[in-house]
Amino acid sequence: MSRYLLLFLLNVPFIVAGLLNSLVTFKMKKISRTRFFLQTLLWIVILIGLAAAKPLYEWLFSNNLTVSEPLSIFDVIQITAIVIVFYIANRSMAKVSTLEKRVQDLHQEISIRLR
Amino acid sequence: MSSEVKRACVVIPAYNEAKVIAKVVKDMRYALKKSPFSGDIVVIDDGSKDATAAQARTAGAIVIEHILNSGAGGATATGLSFAWQNNYDLAATMDADGQHNPEDVIKGMEKLVKHDTDLLIGSRLINTDGMSRTKVIGNRGLSAITYILFGIRSTDSQSGLRIFSKKALERLRWKTSGYEFCSEMLWRANQLHLKIDEYPIKAIYTDYSKTKGQNNWNGFNIVKSLLKRRIMEVFQ
Repeated sequence: MSRYLLLFLLNVPFIVAGLLNSLVTFKMKKISRTRFFLQTLLWIVILIGLAAAKPLYEWLFSNNLTVSEPLSIFDVIQITAIVIVFYIANRSMAKVSTLEKRVQDLHQEISIRLR
Repeated sequence: MSSEVKRACVVIPAYNEAKVIAKVVKDMRYALKKSPFSGDIVVIDDGSKDATAAQARTAGAIVIEHILNSGAGGATATGLSFAWQNNYDLAATMDADGQHNPEDVIKGMEKLVKHDTDLLIGSRLINTDGMSRTKVIGNRGLSAITYILFGIRSTDSQSGLRIFSKKALERLRWKTSGYEFCSEMLWRANQLHLKIDEYPIKAIYTDYSKTKGQNNWNGFNIVKSLLKRRIMEVFQ
């Protein structure tokens, strides 16, 4: 199997999950329209970047715009790891900010009720 | 002003202010009694380690005790939420260290009602007499940063003396919990198209109040936090 195809197949599940999360949270009115568009745009850019990695590399190489080696297995693992970390960070940030708001509201309400 | 007596809630966020809080509450109660307003003084004890809550209660304030220290922004939010839940017509916030004159609070309430404003800031920087040069520079700097980041012109964006209309109590919310909430509150009020204004007040600086309040170095933390909040907002 081509390394470029392997890279694409390894990352697609995370990109699809990222896109679905954005859509679901937007539809549940937990994020604004702007944030939804930005997140979707970001994941689509990553998806296009990975899908077009081979033709992009070949074009850059043939036009003497890069001298780097073709994709290695190590590169595939490294890029996949970056995408996973990005996915986790994005999810964590959303969860932390929701929890922060809930804790603040809870603390405020408890203090008022216990006075 | 209409003949109907307006109910006002004076919110005083306090942290380790046992030495002065009783006097601040008593003075404010006296000023409120003489004023055309009825109402209560609410002290938010933000997890103090001293007898702030007991002193405030003895002086006649309603005391709400935070279980955890939440910062000035968190304590103010609790106080204004209490005012909203208990259907007050307007609310005011003032510092617990005694730097605000209760007469200025009443003056602000009257001005808010008369001019139908939603958020009125008591500015210490229209007349800076008695304020140290360091504090003037620090506060002017933070007001300039508030303008650069959020486009809001205020001579004293960090003032703790603020008056809120019922509409502001209902709609105004902010996310930061430290001192940076002062600037964020103006930003949110502007986003909600609330009518914002300011009026001159005179800050009273005693040896005690000089040791309290914001340190100029904390200004860097405030700027950092505001910058972060401004950038994050793009993605929210």
